[in-house]
Amino acid sequence: MGLEYVRISPGFEKYMPRDYVDLVKYGPFGKQLDVMQMGQFKELVEEHPMCAGCYMAYFIRVFYAALPNPEDTIVLGTAGCARLALSQAAVPFVYGNYGDTNAVASGLKRALSIRFPDKVKDVVVIAGDGGLIDIGFGMTMHSWFRREKFTTIMVDNEVYGNTGGQESGMSPKGLQLKMAPLGKKFDKINAVELAKTAGCVYVARISPTNPKRIAKTIRRAILAARHFGPTFIHAYTSCNIEYSIPTREVLADARKREKQDFKFYEWMTDEVKEFFEELERKEKQEVKK
Amino acid sequence: MYFVADVKENECAKYNCKQCVLFCPEPNCLNFKSGTNSAWVWYDRCKGCEICVYVCSDLLKRHCIEMVMVTPKATAKS
Repeated sequence: MGLEYVRISPGFEKYMPRDYVDLVKYGPFGKQLDVMQMGQFKELVEEHPMCAGCYMAYFIRVFYAALPNPEDTIVLGTAGCARLALSQAAVPFVYGNYGDTNAVASGLKRALSIRFPDKVKDVVVIAGDGGLIDIGFGMTMHSWFRREKFTTIMVDNEVYGNTGGQESGMSPKGLQLKMAPLGKKFDKINAVELAKTAGCVYVARISPTNPKRIAKTIRRAILAARHFGPTFIHAYTSCNIEYSIPTREVLADARKREKQDFKFYEWMTDEVKEFFEELERKEKQEVKK
Repeated sequence: MYFVADVKENECAKYNCKQCVLFCPEPNCLNFKSGTNSAWVWYDRCKGCEICVYVCSDLLKRHCIEMVMVTPKATAKS
């Protein structure tokens, strides 16, 4: 998109919608805002139709606040809950057919690097467990085998929440759901190990209990994807409707699951590790100056 | 009638925590006012999930946010 497209032509301020004017004046475009300043600037996401207390919506809110370069980012999504909020943001959003996000992102990233050879354009895929590991499994895996340079984020609610509660490959074993009354017979797929084996250079698993850590993980995944290869984040984002979690307990549930099976985990190749160490050293030096 | 969160601003201003703001799932719904050093709720955007109440009362034991019923007229003014 670029900053030139964001700016309002002189004289037109009073005709533009209030939200847009706020976004240009108090939004994060062209500034490096910290995720801990959320609530003190105009966020990229607007009001969205996701359920009350949805922690997938929370993850998406933090995701947009954490983007290192929002004006040069393109987000891809697919059918599922996440697209309801993803499409309400001031960042270009591509909505593919179910499961083809990673194939579209591969082409998009290659095209952008030919069209804008002197600029960094980030491509980020955010889709649910159904879109990436069930229906889009082949395309997700092949984009990793080809070592395409973009970030894949799986917002895992462990169910097909949009269509009434069918089991997905990521639902835990033995769990009964509204449209899966016999209980799931197979184990939850280990997406993190799959990503490591398939050639991702940065892999993380996270539960949304600490905004600073989510932001750091997302930033790292995007920066690593710019230079080295595919990166993957597996985020637990509960479905409070299908799992019947009272909305007040949603954060408590995220904290509980973090202790059980979503403990923070981060893995990267040696060259990526060196890159981040170098980057952090430079940042510290700048702070000292 | 809507069920929305409401910050007791005098109570909230005693602390400098902003934790509820950081855990709200809605964008720009719970905001922070540096002038009064307290959080405030944009009622039109609040879906009444009570996660902020969990953070403020259950986790931090500060009890600065309560849930209130408001009429659409009252929200339109805010």
